[in-house]
Amino acid sequence: MRALLLLCALSLAGAQVKNPDTFTYLTIGDPDSLDPAWSYDSTSHHIIANVYEFLLAYKPGSLKELEPRIAAKVPARANGLISADGRSYTFPIRKGVKFHDGKDLTADDVRYSLLRFMLYDRDGGPSPLLLEPVLGVLSTRDAQGKPLDGLYAKAEKAVRVEGDKVVVTLTRPFAPFLGILASYGAIVSKDWVAANGGWDGTEAAWVKHSNPRKQDSPLHERENGSGPYALERLDRRSKETILARFDGYWRGPAPLKRVVIKLVDEFATRKLMLQAGDADVIYAPQMMYGQLSEVPGVELIDGLENLESPTTLFFTYKINPVGNPNIGSGRLDGEGIPPDFFDDRDVRLGFASSIDYDAYIRDVMRGKGHRAHGYLAKGLVGYDEKNPSYAFDLKKAEEHFKKAWGGKLWEKGFTCTLMFNDNQPNILTLTNMIKKNIESLNPKFKLDIRTVQWSTYLEQTQGHKIPVFIGMWMGDYPDAHNFAFNLLHSQGYFAGKSSFANKDFDALIDQAVGELDGAKREKLYRKLDRLAFDFAPSIPIAGGFRFRTQRKWVKGFKFSPVFPDSPYGSYFFDLKKQG
Amino acid sequence: MLRFVGKRLALLPLVMLGVTVLLFALLQFLTPEMRAALYVKDPRQLAALEAIIQKHHLRDPLPIQYWSWLKQVLVGDLGYSETAKMPVADAIRAFFPATLELTFAAFFPILFIGVWLGTKSAVHKDKFVDHFSRFVAITGYSLPSFVLGLLLLMIFYGKMKMFAPGRYSLDVDLLVHSDEFRHVTGLLLVDSVLNWKWSVFWDVAKHLVLPSATLVYISMALLLRITRSSMLEELGKDYVRTARAKGLSERAVINKHARANALIPVVTLSSLLFVGLLGGVVITETVFDYPGIGRWGVNAAQQLDIPGVLGSALLSSLLFVVANMLADVAYALVDPRIRVQ
Repeated sequence: MRALLLLCALSLAGAQVKNPDTFTYLTIGDPDSLDPAWSYDSTSHHIIANVYEFLLAYKPGSLKELEPRIAAKVPARANGLISADGRSYTFPIRKGVKFHDGKDLTADDVRYSLLRFMLYDRDGGPSPLLLEPVLGVLSTRDAQGKPLDGLYAKAEKAVRVEGDKVVVTLTRPFAPFLGILASYGAIVSKDWVAANGGWDGTEAAWVKHSNPRKQDSPLHERENGSGPYALERLDRRSKETILARFDGYWRGPAPLKRVVIKLVDEFATRKLMLQAGDADVIYAPQMMYGQLSEVPGVELIDGLENLESPTTLFFTYKINPVGNPNIGSGRLDGEGIPPDFFDDRDVRLGFASSIDYDAYIRDVMRGKGHRAHGYLAKGLVGYDEKNPSYAFDLKKAEEHFKKAWGGKLWEKGFTCTLMFNDNQPNILTLTNMIKKNIESLNPKFKLDIRTVQWSTYLEQTQGHKIPVFIGMWMGDYPDAHNFAFNLLHSQGYFAGKSSFANKDFDALIDQAVGELDGAKREKLYRKLDRLAFDFAPSIPIAGGFRFRTQRKWVKGFKFSPVFPDSPYGSYFFDLKKQG
Repeated sequence: MLRFVGKRLALLPLVMLGVTVLLFALLQFLTPEMRAALYVKDPRQLAALEAIIQKHHLRDPLPIQYWSWLKQVLVGDLGYSETAKMPVADAIRAFFPATLELTFAAFFPILFIGVWLGTKSAVHKDKFVDHFSRFVAITGYSLPSFVLGLLLLMIFYGKMKMFAPGRYSLDVDLLVHSDEFRHVTGLLLVDSVLNWKWSVFWDVAKHLVLPSATLVYISMALLLRITRSSMLEELGKDYVRTARAKGLSERAVINKHARANALIPVVTLSSLLFVGLLGGVVITETVFDYPGIGRWGVNAAQQLDIPGVLGSALLSSLLFVVANMLADVAYALVDPRIRVQ
């Protein structure tokens, strides 16, 4: 009798789980491409991370510890797989790994995959992530678009097969190299790619397959990876991707048979589908937290912090004055600002002291954030909560503004525009807070807030026409270098926008990336942070948390800030549905 | 009549060409950097912006860009839509059947209910049915479609678990993409019958209920009011009085005489409505997660996907011209005097 009751209870519990073998994730983007050498967006990368595998992977929840995947061991100096000079990395390749077509994965496939990732080099793609450490260049082409002389020979020499091992030799020691291989350079099957019209791995053909037109690449909607799931269908019409469990996966078959990733634009529809059990996880922006917290059968996993820098206020150092309404008259006459307005440190510190950091976190982020302590994402080498933060102090702001430009700024006032990309309600409120505080100091101060569409934002950014803007860096891989370089180096992404260049910063960042001793590296990043705090090239404001919305029957989710599309995306191999 | 149809069809390429020239002229206002936004999705790609502009010839003068696009079109290549992530011709083939299905599901109820209720409303002026139809028209016309759509979804899906969003359910999704299902027309209601898969038919029909109900309620209002006013005008005319004096039944007077004459403005409006529905109903498609052509067209416009915008504009102009032509044919059917002229 007891057994019968237990059976009834179990079957009732099981009956509550809708579509127990199928996991459905509703999101707001559809994958750009499933080609690992093309994809540079989180939606595509999320699928790639489930159907392909990388040489290494980050342990769940960790930003520092790696575990082997296609590589049988994580290279380290201790196990002799990293050479003494820090330039040569040896990857023993795991045996018994099969591609989805049933063929064995070999060291030659690994070598081919790394070469293909670098040489593919489509404009704006991810190839520079490996080109920089392995070949010491950021592009395979010169300024005229011609392939660099001798590049293929250099690449061939840098990535070699030695028996069942792959050896990669870098141009210089590059501390984040393993971290990059845990997120990029997925292993593809050389024979399969060639058979499907892709590069055949020969020198003669690489230029033809480099920087192709999108419609000419054969891997956008097909795959033959070795991951726990295989692509069943990518339906551009219904905007859904269906993955089927790969039973030949080397770690054993995943618990769930099928995964559906679907674009549903409207939040209310996503919510209703979650409520009805037709979805297991949905993408929900922070402001929807209240609407989801009371939905029966749904749990919110809160306080998750992604691999991203704090929201930061950036200044443009060499503003383009030609036909630029964002700087008014272009002179320090109260009706505008000069193009080098932000060269004066007191102006920057005046802005820094006018930001009410705590009010922003408390009232706008609804407490789901924390004060910025430098530029790095939490958990990275060099991040320390003891790093100094700027404070909201209007008296101090007044002092700085009075000192700026030899007192002329206070006397004449200024007018300029703070601009950001639209559809960011939190940033709109933040910028209005900054405007209110700055304009309260002196009636001659005028800060206009302007939200623009992405296309306009691009144009204005490219033309160095935006004097002040808000942004943040989403990490490519979990290493301080990726943040320090892009936020503070003269060759980095934000320097390109803000024309910031400082030799001290560049030297420190270049030194830190080549330092393989963890403790010494940490010290260098702390030094950099101190330098940045004093110089104030830009103002880090606050880091934010996100939350994941899922049905309670979803089990096994392990948060990893590094995983693509985190925390909404999942490594499906870990998941199962249980009532 | 055939000559008339032939003349209209001959004008079609000219109309479509005019539409594309106009669109290209409007694009003169956008800088190459703005148009590059289509290819630069991530801020990390900014460093390569100039290379992207060069690669896609965005700095070429627009007449040159137009000419190379036109040359492609003349050999049957409408280009590649970055928003649909497929060639434009494929995108039209992929999205249009779903919209056509939704249009048919909504248009005929709109037509029948609108004309019927409009007639009733005119015949029973200031009675209950007239007040009721006025209420329907006012609420239908003023209610935003996303409000009505979400309301219906909340009641019939959220509470009653009856009509889910999307074009079909997961089981049917797998079935229609399996080898045992042949896609003949792209219209799933038709294809399911041809494949003798009634489970697919009912599932697809169920998924059409809420989006078409939303469209019927929203779009019927204008037709209803036009029918009513047109009928009221006709019912006051001498020939109606004469027909009644001759002893014709009220039903014959209304249906055979007055309504036949009141249909001219209704036909005009119906053709516009039909084209409007075929062009895509973005909000309804978005709320009900319905994969129609409207969402693609709007996405293409928002992201400055020029081949996508031109492709959907070509389709819209084609539909518009064809629908107008059909409306002219319908005029002739409704009123023989037009045929004689």
